[in-house]
Amino acid sequence: MKDVDVELAFHFAETVDSLVAQGWTEADARLEAERRFGDRRRHHRKIDSIDRAIGRRRRLARLVQGVRLNARDAVRALRASPLVSIVAIVSLALGVGANTAIFSILNALLWQSLPVKEPHRLALMMPDADRTAWTGPQWELMQNHSALVEGTLAFANARFNLSKGGQTDLVDGLYASGSFFEVLGVGTVIGRPFSSQDDAPGGGPDGPVALIGYRFWQQRYRGTPKVIGETLVLDRVPFTIVGVTPPGFDGPERGRTFDIAVPLRAEPLIRRSGSYLAERGTWWLTLLARLKPDQTIEQAAAALNGLRPQIREATMPEGLRPANQERYLRAPFAVRPASTGTSALRRRYTEPLQVMLAGVGLVLLIACANIANLLLARVPARRRELTIRMALGASRVSLARQLLIEGLLLSGIGAGLGLLVSRLGSRVLVRQLSTYTSNVALDVPLDWRVLGFTIALAVFVTIVFSAGPALRAVRVAPSEALKADGRGLVGDRGMGLTQALLTVQVAVSVVLLVAAGLFVGTFVSLARRDAGFDRQAVLVATVNATRSPVAPAARPALYARLRETAAALPGVSSAAVSAVTPTSGDWAFSAHVPSARSVSEDDRHTFVNIVTPDWFKTYGTRLIVGRDFTPQDTAAAPRVAIVNEAFVRHFIGGQPATGLMIEYRDGSRSTVPPTQIVAVVQDGIYRSLREQVPPVMYLPLSQRPNDPFPSVSLSVRSTAGNPAALIHSLSAAMGEIDADLTFTFRSLQTQLDATLTHERILAMVSGFFGALALLLAACGLYGVTAYAVSRRRTEIGLRLALGAKPASILRMILGRVAAVVLAGIAIGALVSTWLAGYVRTLLFGLTPHDPLLLLGAGVVLLLVGLLAGFVPARRAALIPPWAATRTL
Amino acid sequence: MNFLQGTLDILILTALSRGPQHGYDVVEWIRTTTDGTLQIEDGALYTSLHRMEQRGWLESVWKTSPKGRRAKYYRLTAEGRRQLRSGERSWTQFAGAVTKVFAADRRTS
Repeated sequence: MKDVDVELAFHFAETVDSLVAQGWTEADARLEAERRFGDRRRHHRKIDSIDRAIGRRRRLARLVQGVRLNARDAVRALRASPLVSIVAIVSLALGVGANTAIFSILNALLWQSLPVKEPHRLALMMPDADRTAWTGPQWELMQNHSALVEGTLAFANARFNLSKGGQTDLVDGLYASGSFFEVLGVGTVIGRPFSSQDDAPGGGPDGPVALIGYRFWQQRYRGTPKVIGETLVLDRVPFTIVGVTPPGFDGPERGRTFDIAVPLRAEPLIRRSGSYLAERGTWWLTLLARLKPDQTIEQAAAALNGLRPQIREATMPEGLRPANQERYLRAPFAVRPASTGTSALRRRYTEPLQVMLAGVGLVLLIACANIANLLLARVPARRRELTIRMALGASRVSLARQLLIEGLLLSGIGAGLGLLVSRLGSRVLVRQLSTYTSNVALDVPLDWRVLGFTIALAVFVTIVFSAGPALRAVRVAPSEALKADGRGLVGDRGMGLTQALLTVQVAVSVVLLVAAGLFVGTFVSLARRDAGFDRQAVLVATVNATRSPVAPAARPALYARLRETAAALPGVSSAAVSAVTPTSGDWAFSAHVPSARSVSEDDRHTFVNIVTPDWFKTYGTRLIVGRDFTPQDTAAAPRVAIVNEAFVRHFIGGQPATGLMIEYRDGSRSTVPPTQIVAVVQDGIYRSLREQVPPVMYLPLSQRPNDPFPSVSLSVRSTAGNPAALIHSLSAAMGEIDADLTFTFRSLQTQLDATLTHERILAMVSGFFGALALLLAACGLYGVTAYAVSRRRTEIGLRLALGAKPASILRMILGRVAAVVLAGIAIGALVSTWLAGYVRTLLFGLTPHDPLLLLGAGVVLLLVGLLAGFVPARRAALIPPWAATRTL
Repeated sequence: MNFLQGTLDILILTALSRGPQHGYDVVEWIRTTTDGTLQIEDGALYTSLHRMEQRGWLESVWKTSPKGRRAKYYRLTAEGRRQLRSGERSWTQFAGAVTKVFAADRRTS
């Protein structure tokens, strides 16, 4: 019966009583009472709804009050055991921090929209289903038809050289079509963006113009507005600064940024004879379209494909074989959504990042298991407190809520710190992505996705680690807990959940250790791989002669002079010039050795390098048989070549290679005079550390007078010490020969390391988290064993009093630990065997199921586990027998 | 309506200003002191009691009445007292104003 019914019944009873007392008959009194009350149903309904509102408000107030009290008690509880709380918070901060860091990088790379107007209407135009790059002539035609969509733009990333000669001062550059800023809807902070008028050959009405990025403006010009109108010299060509782009705008390619943007048609000014703009065979431009408001991707693709035949016909690259010509004409254009911009990083790093996210997810799981164990261990100790609370009238719900709030408090603090850790961590990781050739600038924002992810993590971990303790605490029978607080003969009953958690923790640690082993092993075997040359002693300089007044035909002589000058410098033991250097590029011919093996037309692929004498000496590559090139191998002398062992294996077979004649086709040029093999050299890395050494043919630079290489590599071997110390003297000496040459230096080691970026990151992250997992597992095992020992103090004392040997106590305790660890190892081994298959493509030099690695991880964990268990076990063995009498 | 409702609230608050009472007492007190002049339904008085409880002007407690029945007793809160004072004041001003109007009307006629 509701309160309102009781109240009204009372009212009617009283009214009737008083009327009867005044002389009314009972029946009349009832009627009169009803009359006086009015419409009973209406009033009842009104009162009832008011009462319900009152009830709701009271319940809410009670809840708020309860939560406030719980929170106060939670703070007290955390402060009561500071060590547990600190361990929990630190492991959560690391776990949540690592997850958030990796998630925020993925977020920045994959999901973050470009900071432009209506990014969802941007689309990437592709010349076929796989490729994203277009040629200059294709863009010229395409932009005439921009009306098919709302607008189109083209851009390409580049590096501009700010120095006037000698050593280069490279900054990140951007070639952008005149429509670029208008189509993106991006303006300037000061000055003006450039327009189609500026995008004219040789410059628009204001001559060649440039925009600078906000960061560059702040760094080089300290943010002064006077920068507008100043002259900026890029690759020795003057440009006028007309504006500064807004902060946060790094161009449409994620992971790249620009310091300076110039109109696309200014590219020939900068690259001069090496310009790509009119080249039909150079695919270097990225094209974006802004769709009309109601236009779909499909409609845009259909409209663009309408232009395809005419664009394809008019832009056919020269020298294509008929089959390829046919393919060129047929391939349909494709259009993809591009609200998040384009990115080369995306393709390279999405998979490693996902693997890392899975790994750090496991670390978080371990941290959770640890915290759950620590909290569980506290439950019996707190049973007294909880029981007293219950006896004083606290409900079970309130107790469970209390534990949940304690958990939330822990994970809240942990997640807050984790967010800080992630800001730091993601920056460190992104910095690792940059190499000497490409500067990775990825702004990792703290947006709603990242915050949401972190909050979700915090809630998730709270549920994971508080559920066990809360359930256990709520099951407290009030009579039981007041009795025995760790006294009595408990054995290790009730430790089931704890041991299950420990087993999971050990298993996850095994998985992480195996992963660390795989990725660190991959990195080490790549970094230590016998490259076929010395990587420590060599300095490489890219020499660019585009600006030099020396005629192209005279360049080989210029390069020879550079080599001689460099070799004569103190500290230099030898020097050589080459077209490519290891991992810096590739060049391939079709070749075969007719007198040896017959090789089918499709199989005659060989990589090529053009070198001067002493190249092998400089790199420390052994000559197995024959002689090095000499200055006598001139254009007039018989043609000679040196090949590597892989070439011999592929094209020649068992017979002696020297003296045999090679026939090869040199790109578009038809025939080449017969060329004799004069030496075989050791295999050396050509394109990538990850692949088998391919067949390589080396030709002397002096026999290629028709190759006006605008850019070559000068490699210098130092007599001792760090080759980077030679940079200064080298660039001074080179400057004297020709002040218009530019040089970009790096050590060979740096050049090779740059190709191992993601292997290094994976190794770093997985190594760090493997170690962390191990540490957490050790903490967990130690904590739980120590707790179990303290609980069983009386029992152990009794055993000892009854004649058990301390050694048998030690064995008993360690046996428990070993059982848990071995079970964990077994599960972990199974899981990692299953998971390792998924990372096969990321590995090098070892198989995903390396038995030694599994064994190693198992042994390490077993040792760590026994060590963590030994300390408390020894303490148990030293329990004096009278401990039993004290507490029973 | 608001005017009447306000008046009703003031009457109830006045009744309760003499000490905690249950609903029936309030109803009876208002009936007897006004000699039954005000034709107010008892139900409306109860609705008003509950509404004022919701607003925090009154608080209630269940007790057993002298005759042994369970009854809900109401009591003024500090806020209820404040409301009573300000209600009385505005009612007196209002009544005074109306009286003046009648007096003026009598003089002119």
